Amino acid sequence: MAYIPGNTGTKLDKNFENDLLAIADTRLVLGNWYAECVMNGRSLPDFAAILGMCTSNYGHTRAIYQFLAAHGHDYAHLERGRDAAAICSMNVLDEAPAGWEDFIVSTWLTELATWMLASGFLKHEDRAIAGIAKKIGEETYFHLKYAQGWFQIIGEGKKQSELFQKSFAKRFPIALQWFGPATGKDPLHDAGIRDVPLKKLRDAFIKEASNAEKILGAKLKQEKSVKLEKDWRRDARRFGPIPDGLFEVVRFKDAEIAH
Amino acid sequence: MVKGKKKIDQKRERGGKQPKYYEVFARKDSASELSHVGSVEAPNDQLAQVRAWYIYDQHKWREMCVVPLDSIITVTEEGKSAKIKMG
Repeated sequence: MAYIPGNTGTKLDKNFENDLLAIADTRLVLGNWYAECVMNGRSLPDFAAILGMCTSNYGHTRAIYQFLAAHGHDYAHLERGRDAAAICSMNVLDEAPAGWEDFIVSTWLTELATWMLASGFLKHEDRAIAGIAKKIGEETYFHLKYAQGWFQIIGEGKKQSELFQKSFAKRFPIALQWFGPATGKDPLHDAGIRDVPLKKLRDAFIKEASNAEKILGAKLKQEKSVKLEKDWRRDARRFGPIPDGLFEVVRFKDAEIAH
Repeated sequence: MVKGKKKIDQKRERGGKQPKYYEVFARKDSASELSHVGSVEAPNDQLAQVRAWYIYDQHKWREMCVVPLDSIITVTEEGKSAKIKMG
């Protein structure tokens, strides 16, 4: 049955489904990043904040998987039945953080990019998806604030600022690829499913990312146009499969543990 | 996991030679008084806000705020050597 907003059981628009899965999978991998890196926090309160961000990201993933399941997908398959090639997480999370500054840059860019894309569904006529987008926004507010708190501290150290700049120069162009080509078709906007054009969201991401300069107190090298990798896929918003090492971290291992 | 050994710059990352503290106040609804719920250690206001939000998550607060401990001026306190209690 064709997609009817708010009517569970109807099949979603394929591009809409792809974007939701890209947000959900990225938040899943991001949650795992926080879980893996929690012991690198700076104090017990820092551990609590990192674990809080971890669980809220898992919550966003779960809510989107549930929404997809209400529209004809198999929840168990989404959560634990897919291989590395089917996980649609941002390429920016493929490589493990090289240090604390790189961890802050990577998680911040991912939070910001995924929130930008989710914000395009805030006024969606299906209240379930508008509600998920609103919840992501409310919680991402604290995740971004956490990063900004660290920009301030990192900016006080010369070496730390340089490491931040180096990480940003490397990670930002990869993060920008998530939004796809700067120009071209925008089927979701054209179909009225996303009320904000993708170009506007991409521009907002660039602008927000550049605002970090003020808090950091250092210049950031920002490429406004990036060449997409040859195998970049619109449906997954990424190129290539997630690396084996990362898949090993994020895949569900309950069947093995049970034995 | 972040590569390399974890090194903490006490002054930058914890607020000074001694950790910097913030007192946390919150209210459940507009009819409730703003009450002291605890304290958090943080090197700046932004991290204090986030840490307080995640640590004192026992209620869906209508309002929460943090106050740097060194901004609190004691008017009266029983016992000459008493300090403001934390935690």
